[in-house]
Amino acid sequence: MSKVVTWRSAVVFAALAALPLLPGVPRYYLLLAFDALLFGAIAMSLDLLMGYTGLVSFGHAAFYGLGAYATAVLLERGVLSVWASVGFALIVVGLYALVVSYFATARRGIYFALLTLIFAEVVYTFFRYTQTFGGSDGIQGLPDATLFPGVAIDTPARKYYLVFVYLLLAWLVCRVVVASHFGRVLVAIRENEDRARFLGYNVQRYKMGACMISALLTGVGGAIYPMRSAFATPDLLVWTESGEFIISVMIGGLGTLVGPIIGGAFFTILRDKVSSVVDWYFIVIGLVLIVIVLFMPRGLLGLRRLFRGRPWRAAA
Amino acid sequence: MARGGVILEVDGVGKQFGALAALTGVSFAVSERQVFSVIGPNGAGKSTLFNVIAGLHQPSTGAVRFGGRDITGLPPEAVNRLGLAKTFQITNLFPEISVLDNVRVAAQSRAPESGRLASLWRRPDVDAAAVGLLEAFGLGRRREELAENLSHGEQRYLEICLALATAPRLLLLDEPTAGMTPGETRDATALIRRIAEERGLTVLLIEHDMSVVMGISDRVAVLHFGEKIAEGTPEQIRNDPRVIDAYLGGADD
Repeated sequence: MSKVVTWRSAVVFAALAALPLLPGVPRYYLLLAFDALLFGAIAMSLDLLMGYTGLVSFGHAAFYGLGAYATAVLLERGVLSVWASVGFALIVVGLYALVVSYFATARRGIYFALLTLIFAEVVYTFFRYTQTFGGSDGIQGLPDATLFPGVAIDTPARKYYLVFVYLLLAWLVCRVVVASHFGRVLVAIRENEDRARFLGYNVQRYKMGACMISALLTGVGGAIYPMRSAFATPDLLVWTESGEFIISVMIGGLGTLVGPIIGGAFFTILRDKVSSVVDWYFIVIGLVLIVIVLFMPRGLLGLRRLFRGRPWRAAA
Repeated sequence: MARGGVILEVDGVGKQFGALAALTGVSFAVSERQVFSVIGPNGAGKSTLFNVIAGLHQPSTGAVRFGGRDITGLPPEAVNRLGLAKTFQITNLFPEISVLDNVRVAAQSRAPESGRLASLWRRPDVDAAAVGLLEAFGLGRRREELAENLSHGEQRYLEICLALATAPRLLLLDEPTAGMTPGETRDATALIRRIAEERGLTVLLIEHDMSVVMGISDRVAVLHFGEKIAEGTPEQIRNDPRVIDAYLGGADD
């Protein structure tokens, strides 16, 4: 366990924890920081699959969106507890992820990506085109959630701390898993899944395990989103959302956990800044991404190589 | 343990790929602590036989028994867990992780955590066993190197290390010296023999190069066009006219 938290990561998290304490941080920036950390944490969860197991999921929007709807449904009915929302999201996303991961991991390569995408599109279509959960409007105008009765998460600083704690816990889970027996097998599967079978590993079970952990972490992220936005809409479930998670992992650096956090935050802030200037912001973002992918194959985290002579190495 | 010390029994195994009969009625028995070799020209069905034994292919007919237990049609991971480990003719490693990490992931396959929930947060310490294996094969100093950066000969050794790290009772070696120089081949065969003896292993070896086999085998079976045409001691095989014919005669690969 001692190697899980390095002093450097402790400093970074301490700095993040101190952010709302800085005098004169506008609420707009605290909420942008919320979005950045949330996106980063989800990209990190996806990295468990992409960077460590070698599986590209095009369906993480479904885990995210289902988590958000789980919270929205409860808040709408006056169940305000954060714990209830997170618990409900874990159940909903867990059941869905169990089905998806069972079928998706039965196939290899491109089929995994396609099956995760197809399942997610089914979920999107259901929420978008039926009126069960508000159709295209989703569920709007939600009340603030409460941590305990009487303690509402109603200020930007409290919302920020909510996502901060989520990021910290998700990061600890990922770090422990990556360093474990299980994590070593995931890397072996990424490297050569046939050989892993001949070493006695039931590859599909390990892949399913990785999917479940990644999906549940993403689902919890989804569950806290409506606590900041006060809505859940089908837009959270669209496949482009999954694409943005993937892009964030790529920007940050595959198989590094920290890289995708940075990638997700970078992507969120870039989108926010550019879209406030021009409408065709995605062209600008696209150009930036092309530059990063072409010239920084290790992602933003690969830049640290410029400062240290050490080669990048994935995991294990 | 099975009667008569037989550890592996291949019983009338046949394998069809569509209209092609890759194996027809192949039977033999491997006794404990033996080095048993299967030889034959390229295309004789040797690798297919290995793939049937190790669980990659389901045989069309016949059965495979290991330690008295029917393992026909079990998947590779289940066969491995029973104590039967296989190496590959074409080097089959985890290329972009270190040599030591390659062996670690193989060795932890037998840790008590393996397959349990606790494997999510615990990391078994298998370093002593892994380093010991690497040193036995002269790879100790290369442990931090990425597997893909090893020389061909070193990769062949790492291939064997991975199989051995799962602590098998029976080791299946598919042309372990493929691509080695004659000198390397001699060293490798001597090393395999020594390690098998030290660990009390049974070895089933596939080769197309007869000279490799003769020095280290207790018993040899010869495959030709998917059928067993001879079985015996290396001496008997060397002098068997059918074997000489298969190797030198017109029916080449």
